[in-house]
Amino acid sequence: MLGPTLVLLVVFFLLPIGVAAYESLFSWDILTPPRYVGTANYTALAAHGELLRVALRTLGYSVLVVAGTMTLGLGLALLLDRPGRFFGFVRASVFSAYVVSWVAVALLWMWILDGNSGAVGGVTRWLGLGSVSLLGDPRWALPTLAVVAVWKLTGYAMIVFLAGLQGVPRSLLEAAALDGAGSWGRFRHVTMPLLAPTASFVATTSLVTSFQAFDVVRIMTQGGPARATELFVYAIYEQIFLNLSVGRASALTVVFFVLLLAVAGLQLRVWRARAGVSR
Amino acid sequence: MLARRDLLRACASSLALAPLALAPLACGHRTRPEYRDGRVVVTFWYAYGDLVRKVMLDLVARYNASQTRVFVEAVHQGDYYECLAKLRTALAAGAAPTLSHVVCEIIPYLARAGVLEDLGAYEGARAIPFVPALAQGGTFAAGDAQPLVAIPFNRSTPIAFLNARMLDEAHLVPPRTWDELVEAARKLTRRAANGEVRWGYEVPIQGWYWLAMVGQAGGRLIEPDGRVSLGGDAGEKALRFWQRLVRDEHVMRPPPGRDYQAWQSTNESFLGGRIAMMWSSTAHVRYLEDNATFPVVTAPLPRDVRASVPTGGTMFVVMRSAPDEEKRAAWEFVRWMCDAEQTIAWSTRTGYMPVTRPAVERLIERGWYGKHPNDRVAYDQLAAVEPWPWAPDLFRVERDVVEPRLEEGVLQGGDAHALMDDAREEAARPA
Repeated sequence: MLGPTLVLLVVFFLLPIGVAAYESLFSWDILTPPRYVGTANYTALAAHGELLRVALRTLGYSVLVVAGTMTLGLGLALLLDRPGRFFGFVRASVFSAYVVSWVAVALLWMWILDGNSGAVGGVTRWLGLGSVSLLGDPRWALPTLAVVAVWKLTGYAMIVFLAGLQGVPRSLLEAAALDGAGSWGRFRHVTMPLLAPTASFVATTSLVTSFQAFDVVRIMTQGGPARATELFVYAIYEQIFLNLSVGRASALTVVFFVLLLAVAGLQLRVWRARAGVSR
Repeated sequence: MLARRDLLRACASSLALAPLALAPLACGHRTRPEYRDGRVVVTFWYAYGDLVRKVMLDLVARYNASQTRVFVEAVHQGDYYECLAKLRTALAAGAAPTLSHVVCEIIPYLARAGVLEDLGAYEGARAIPFVPALAQGGTFAAGDAQPLVAIPFNRSTPIAFLNARMLDEAHLVPPRTWDELVEAARKLTRRAANGEVRWGYEVPIQGWYWLAMVGQAGGRLIEPDGRVSLGGDAGEKALRFWQRLVRDEHVMRPPPGRDYQAWQSTNESFLGGRIAMMWSSTAHVRYLEDNATFPVVTAPLPRDVRASVPTGGTMFVVMRSAPDEEKRAAWEFVRWMCDAEQTIAWSTRTGYMPVTRPAVERLIERGWYGKHPNDRVAYDQLAAVEPWPWAPDLFRVERDVVEPRLEEGVLQGGDAHALMDDAREEAARPA
């Protein structure tokens, strides 16, 4: 019974990872013969902390995206969990961003963020700050990309949280109210515990999406300025297709794989611990 | 337990198969030419947008209309870098086009990889009267000593563009030295009460412009013995000059974005009257003249200890993997594009340099340069061209090693000496 699954696992997962691990030991540009260099690609990437910076940048971006998406998604779900056409319209509007392609979202936000002709530039000029280029400033470029991702993903998180809220029994909330619990108390002690599985799901999907970030980087910043937005997937693309280095791209892939494995392991551990507590 | 054992086996077999991954990419050759309606098809991958794309497609259409034997199929492949990425993977997969055009910096690498056709023996290849600085022999140091693999197509140099109205108001003339550039940028920079700034000067933080300054400061990227010096002191001086303009004088804005996004942003700011002077490519002469609401003047780049500019743009390359008949057909098209009529149409409608001497002579006869002095400035600046080194690592060094450090130096204020030392160390490592 395991056969077909194993074949797919080997062909589309283990084999590519094995190939990447093997190729990471070579200096290779696709067109000329590969040359064995041992762990030199890893050493070169680790030199001056560049590899660590890419990893921390990716993790930082993911933390911002996951935290922002969950907070806003939950907040909007609580606000909009009401009957009526108006609320239905607002729910649909918020969710619509999720349906739009990343490319369109990136282009839209580039226009909004343009220091000269965009809305942000208009506001900063009105405030007397002149034309501010958030994407051109190494300190603000990554958080700005995270804001764009949060804007796009919040609608999805909101819908999932809304679905989760439908599973919270009204009777429990009414009983808590009768016992004197205020709105915060009901949310803290009734709604939140029952939403925990939903929150875990939203966290996982947001995390996966944020780790895969490519389109938004490719279109909005190309990894710049000064590599401030060079996340793992884009760094891999840049090494192999622009800098002609398959070896270094493969080394990055292997490190990225190990990082994902560690994050997934950590998540699994937390879930198991929670499951143990709830039993 | 069974699942775990199977998983381990699968893991082991996938790792055992890994060595095969490097094997199949052996740059396959196509043996059968493609025909359409009895004509040999030359697939031509190009990387232009907007006006330049339109002009090129007009020329291709004109060529196809004049032909009964050859059909050129032009296929857009994104910008230069996207086109190059696709070309490399297509070469590895044995699915490359017949003809493409590539940035000069990548040509030594592609030549070493053996994927470019040696055009030296093709009919008339050595007899085309190219402008020396723009042909392979003048574009690269000792470029004539290499097999002829690249034919000049859309060639350019960096050049200074100035808003003549702002210059007149400030009673300034185009700066001729670095010191004059600083002085002019100071006088042209204006700060409004709402924080809005009109910048005196702007240039994308990119290797091409930095290299021009390295030359002007008396250095070169790679020494004749092959050592990557990155200009030595001149390289650091060039970076410090940018740092001074941006971080000390506050008269230059580094444009947002990288690669061509930064170029586009600079052009837009110039056209919008938000900057007074900029460095860009001669390729944009016509576009800027046609779209500016003020008179645009060009000037040679200012000098430090000498005048120096690299050449830019792209050159035609024919893929060695294409069938012979397609390669011959591609060569016919390339030769046709080098005829004076096409060269003139191409350069006058875009701003790229005319690449053959007969084309230049005809333009002089017709009084073109009298009517278009900006084109004349670009052509005259060819006297200051510093050839690229013929180094297979050139593209990697410029893009992966130098450019991120330039950004770091200008945007984050990193120490120029430390950054360039670090870059030299990185350049010495295998890719």
